[in-house]
Amino acid sequence: MKKIVLTIFALSLVFSSCEFDKGFEEMNVNPGKAAQIDVANKFASVVLRTSGGRYENWRASLIYQSVMIQHFSATAGYWSGDRYFRNDGYATSLWDRYYPSAVKEIEDIRAQLTAAGNTGSEMGMTRILRVYIYSRITDLHGDCPYSEAGQGYINGILKPKYDAQKDIYADFLKELEEAVAQIGSSTTMGKSDLIFQGNTTKWKAWGNSMMLRLALRMSKVDAATSKAWAVKAIGNGTMTSNAHIAMIAHTDGPEGINKNGHGEVFDADGNPRMSKTFVDWLKDDPRLPILAARRSDKSTAIADLIGMPNGSTSATVPDTSIYAEPNRAVITHKDVPMVLQTYAEVEFMKAEAAQRGWISGSAATHYNNGVKAAMQMLSQLYPNAAAITDAEVTAYLALKPYDATKGLQMIGEQYWAATLLNEYEAFSNWRRTGFPVLTPTNDPGNVTGGTIPRRLIWPMGEESTNADNYKAAVAAQGPNDFTTRVWWDKQ
Amino acid sequence: MKTKFLRILTSFLLVFAFGFSVHAQSISGTVTDENGVPLPGATVLVEGTSNGVSTDFDGNYSIEASSGDTLVFSFVGYASQSIVVGSSATVNAVLTPDTALEEVVVTSLGIKRNVKALGYSLTVVDGSELSGNKTSNAINALQGKVAGVMVTGSAAGAKGSSRVVIRGTSSLTGNNQPLYVVDGITINNSNLGSAGVWGGADYGDGISSINPDEIASVSVLKGGAAAALYGSRASNGVILITTKNGAGQEGIGIEFNSSTQFDMLNTGLRDTQTIYGQGRDSSKIVDPIDTYQAWGPKMDGSMVAQWDGVARKYSNQGSNLEKFYRTGETYTNTIAVSSSNESSNTRFSMTNMDNIDIVPNSSLKRNSFGLNSSQKLGDKITVDVNMKYILEDQVGNPQLSDSPGNGNFAVNLFAPTVNVNDMLGEGGLGRNADLTEFRISDNSYSQNPWFAAYNYINSSEKERFIGAINARWDIKDYLYVRGRVGGDRYDHHRTNSTPWGTAYQPNGSMNETKRAFQQYDADLFIGTDNLKLDDDVSLTAFVGVGQNSQEYSATGVSGSHFIVPGLIDVKNTKNQGSSWSYWKKQINSAYGSAEIGFMDYAYLTVTARNDWFSTLSLKDKKAPNNDLYTSASLSFVVSDALDLGSSVSFMKLRGGYSQVAGGADSPYALSLAYGIYGQGHLGASLGAISGGTIPNSEITPFEKNETEFGIDLRMFDNKLSIDATYYDNETLGDIVGVSASATSGYGSALANLGNISNKGIELLIKGTLMQSDDFAWNASVNYTNNTSKVVATNDTGGNISMQEPRSRNLRVTHIVGEKYGALYGSSYVRDASGAIVHQMVNGIPIPKIGPRKILGFGVAPTQLGIGTSMRYKDFNASVLFEGKSGGQIYSGSNAFLIRNGHHKKTVPAGGREAGWVPTGVMEDGSTVTTSIPANQQEDYYRRTYSIAEEAIFDSDYMRLRSLSIGYNVPSDKLDGTFIDKATITLIGRNLFFLSNSVDNIDPESAYNNSNSAGLEWFGLPVPRTIGLNVNLKF
Repeated sequence: MKKIVLTIFALSLVFSSCEFDKGFEEMNVNPGKAAQIDVANKFASVVLRTSGGRYENWRASLIYQSVMIQHFSATAGYWSGDRYFRNDGYATSLWDRYYPSAVKEIEDIRAQLTAAGNTGSEMGMTRILRVYIYSRITDLHGDCPYSEAGQGYINGILKPKYDAQKDIYADFLKELEEAVAQIGSSTTMGKSDLIFQGNTTKWKAWGNSMMLRLALRMSKVDAATSKAWAVKAIGNGTMTSNAHIAMIAHTDGPEGINKNGHGEVFDADGNPRMSKTFVDWLKDDPRLPILAARRSDKSTAIADLIGMPNGSTSATVPDTSIYAEPNRAVITHKDVPMVLQTYAEVEFMKAEAAQRGWISGSAATHYNNGVKAAMQMLSQLYPNAAAITDAEVTAYLALKPYDATKGLQMIGEQYWAATLLNEYEAFSNWRRTGFPVLTPTNDPGNVTGGTIPRRLIWPMGEESTNADNYKAAVAAQGPNDFTTRVWWDKQ
Repeated sequence: MKTKFLRILTSFLLVFAFGFSVHAQSISGTVTDENGVPLPGATVLVEGTSNGVSTDFDGNYSIEASSGDTLVFSFVGYASQSIVVGSSATVNAVLTPDTALEEVVVTSLGIKRNVKALGYSLTVVDGSELSGNKTSNAINALQGKVAGVMVTGSAAGAKGSSRVVIRGTSSLTGNNQPLYVVDGITINNSNLGSAGVWGGADYGDGISSINPDEIASVSVLKGGAAAALYGSRASNGVILITTKNGAGQEGIGIEFNSSTQFDMLNTGLRDTQTIYGQGRDSSKIVDPIDTYQAWGPKMDGSMVAQWDGVARKYSNQGSNLEKFYRTGETYTNTIAVSSSNESSNTRFSMTNMDNIDIVPNSSLKRNSFGLNSSQKLGDKITVDVNMKYILEDQVGNPQLSDSPGNGNFAVNLFAPTVNVNDMLGEGGLGRNADLTEFRISDNSYSQNPWFAAYNYINSSEKERFIGAINARWDIKDYLYVRGRVGGDRYDHHRTNSTPWGTAYQPNGSMNETKRAFQQYDADLFIGTDNLKLDDDVSLTAFVGVGQNSQEYSATGVSGSHFIVPGLIDVKNTKNQGSSWSYWKKQINSAYGSAEIGFMDYAYLTVTARNDWFSTLSLKDKKAPNNDLYTSASLSFVVSDALDLGSSVSFMKLRGGYSQVAGGADSPYALSLAYGIYGQGHLGASLGAISGGTIPNSEITPFEKNETEFGIDLRMFDNKLSIDATYYDNETLGDIVGVSASATSGYGSALANLGNISNKGIELLIKGTLMQSDDFAWNASVNYTNNTSKVVATNDTGGNISMQEPRSRNLRVTHIVGEKYGALYGSSYVRDASGAIVHQMVNGIPIPKIGPRKILGFGVAPTQLGIGTSMRYKDFNASVLFEGKSGGQIYSGSNAFLIRNGHHKKTVPAGGREAGWVPTGVMEDGSTVTTSIPANQQEDYYRRTYSIAEEAIFDSDYMRLRSLSIGYNVPSDKLDGTFIDKATITLIGRNLFFLSNSVDNIDPESAYNNSNSAGLEWFGLPVPRTIGLNVNLKF
């Protein structure tokens, strides 16, 4: 009997001495995934994430900002920005989408380049794009996770702190300066550079143009710093023509990621109309029949193009088809580029700097350059757009010559018109300059006391998933509502 | 099975007989049963020696023994008997049956063990219970039959998945369904597609393709102690299925079984108002968008232009459900050929199952082939081969939940004046001549139900092979080696298409997915059965090693925007995409079990298993990649140890403690990985981090500890038996997502933080009420009650959100301190006395919307099954009532029926015209007195639709689950025919409810079988089934 027991125990010893996990480490490696991939295979992805998908372009960009800023108007109740309704999911859509995609990916690329000791063009390009990504978030929401964001894996930070926008801006400017300085004459990003196709000169010009944009953003809250950085940016060399426009080319498929997110929205949503405010402003402007068409019959005859007042409801406007909508033959396609920053904006910013006396030179010249660039870029952005001739530009400028006595307003209005479908920029610049002067809507259901929102709210989910930091941010910036102003939007 | 066991035993004894015969006088005799029928193969042993023989075909034996020796006569299923040899050379023995003592059941790893040695609860269900009164998903036939096992069907029709939960759920978000083992091989039970909040169709689960006609028996290993030998895969219990073999067949036998079943709409369920017709605000003016609204005036038979502009009588059109759904038909034909001889037995069977579901254009075909063969190679080696080959074809799987593509949605909601037969369109296919949808509404999401049924494509083909080879070598009479290899593999090809011309997606889309899964099991173990260590101590033990490896791949192509209408080809689409996924994983194990028996009345069993996981293996990680699971259980047969008097036939006390585990079974989850996605962009490739969860290399499987106690009591000559179990289990370190701010870039990080407990009782009472030659009457009651508790969720103790219904005003939520799966949704505001608080809106009182709160729990804690069977001469009948109670359901169908004025509650006693004063109070505490005029009553119910509480019902029911009335054609009537045996049985399932606390629907109407129980949203009606089963043996 003992023999048997012993046999069994002996066998169990044999079993237990086997190597039971042989080959397991190799087996648990996904053959379809890599432990790391080259930055050149990642950069295009983060660029497209920056352009954004239908989700946030529908909600944050169009449903909120485009109608708040009165480029567009819409009667449908869910177009919450028109009448300043609260819809948490819509208001936080950029945040909800950017942090897990664009932010996570740009932080990953930055960490990889840092680890590899890259101090050249690739790091410079990455840093500029990174500033752009966070600038959209902070301009829209104010204080936000920045220095600790997107590092859930890299540094195990599950609950990033909110940085003060003031500090974020200081870092933005430092980052841009260093980034531009480290960009060389070429890059190994190859086709992955969907913005400038490897043209590092254009990257430098964009880096400096972003510096100018962010510098001016501080004009209300800290004019001295604003001026210093603006002067530096201009001195370092900003965009000099429409060939420098920072934009992301899209194609109509094969998948959603390839398409222009706005274009996808227009495919799915027939609600947006041109705002009366905008169409009225575009009177005598050769851009009007390019940008707008009557909903009912696609007519672009000037007489047929009427803007729908913001604040309209299905009760006040039962038939919205009589109004102009974004011209579906020209600007709403899924294969048009997503614009990040244009040369026209740069000229308007220079005009403002000149008008403020921060730089020498003629504000009028920059203004004229800006108007010309803004008009003529349309046929570059939209293949179906008729080119606006020099003669038409001259005629328009003759009708509306630069008037230094209301220079900032004229610049602000032109900037507003030039940033159609770059609603983040249009909303930010309006908050800073106050131009154009917009009449708020006043629906009984509004949550802003009948004023145009000054920011979009933080996600309520942060209250539970990032409670301490969220509370600190509320204490620092103010209540999480649509009327709290961000740091640079000083009253 | 007994026969097989017997043969093994016999061969053992033959070895003894030939090997150890001693010289003494020759004693001979006959062993018979109590009726004098000889028992061939009974064993005769000289006590205290290994000298033994077995009886021949006529029960005769002859053995060498000396006077004064004790002969022990034994036979499986009978009480052994000891007789002292006297002067006579003839010793006859009469053995009496003893079911309790020698009941042999299949336990973990296919080991057969004596019931009395089991220190845990194990229930065996005979295969005839699954095949006699079939369900298209075989496992559904277990509903209400096994205490502790909750089987919940779904509202997905014949092709639907099932949810089986044993002793409560063990994981908050992970798999909670048992491990299925068929003939020793673990099989895959993955869901091949199911509906969610945004719709979808059910493609069945792995267990659904097992052929009920092949099942010999099902052993349910409920608790950890029973299942512990399956280690890390045992957390949800194990269901062992043994398929039929040819043993016991004399010569060649042919069995033919034919079953015809009809599924019919249970017309008794739906009870909606038939007074008011289509319209809004009490107006007959019918807007095409409002086909679903029954807020018109009283139907008066006048001619009114309808949704399509055609004027029709404004009168009740009768039940649209009855017009749309058809009688489902299921034909199951099985032919089985068996043969058996001394050294082998074989059974081959073919089953053809052909089903058309109650929803038009939906069908299921299944062809199953089974071959089981057992060969004895010499005296010591037995080889069993089991093979199953299953071909399955599913067409027209109905879409459920959200309205697009879901015909059930529309057909449930048409106003009484609307007739679904007016919507048939071209050729009855719900479309126009140009293939576009025949629109029934301006709202493009209101789908023509005929269009949904005939034009959407949800079809699949599955080819599956399950095979195993088991070999046993009896090295010595006390030592054996068993080896087993086997596998389960399937190829599944699915085609889905939203057709061109669909109103809400005019360009259409499609996708094709091919999945291949394979899983292999191999085991090798060495053991001893019933080894006498001492006169009083026996040992049954084994040690072994095992391996389970699984591999999966899926390839898909998709396209949207058809170029040529009506062609279902991805190349015929403008935007195309493709996908591929793959994984492989493996578990290696070493295990052992030892059962020490004392005096044949006390048994201690200890088991241990160590599992090594490929999914937990990663270079340089700190946490181990393996884990040890142990169990101990004790069985004490009181009736053998003590004299309990003659009324107690058998009494056993049992208890056990076990550790098992689950989870951590996802491959490649330990480290960050990068992939290329999409199809590139302008020549650039798109690469990024894969997945939104922060990998945790230190994750481990969760552990589940369970204690159970039970009693098995049989009294009055086994006429009454009571089997009761109490269990208490706790899951520790369940894998949950640690809340991460989205700003970290990730949604969550995984950690072992969850904790759930379950306590419950299982009770089975069986009684023989009458017993005579001509008449027998048995009854049984089984009762289950499980109390679950979410002890811990995650790092912050926050709620874990599960699924939500389409109204999105409720979510199944795990909340610390509460039961599993709270229905957490918007509520009424109530005053201190519970009265609903109203506010004035547009001049009428309307309920205020309160905050989200717990409105119920989707999992019913209590189940009761009451069965009875009778036999009178050649007739027999059995009936099973089954019920569940204590749970709740959120009924989306009722939410809509109320909102749209169909539900009877929307018709006040005096009619809508008389106005209606809602019950409740105003905000100032005063009783509501304002009467809501007829044209505003819908505003009230549109508000209540936003309040999830309105559509919460108790999901209690008691129903006639199954009924069968059979007739065995007497053998004398078959004399002279080629038929040996003939049985005809009338069968019925789900015939009626004794009680049902949910309005208008079957309480078991969940649209999927996920952990988010208790969500109903326009699934397929659960039908009544009647049928006829004919069984012939040749």
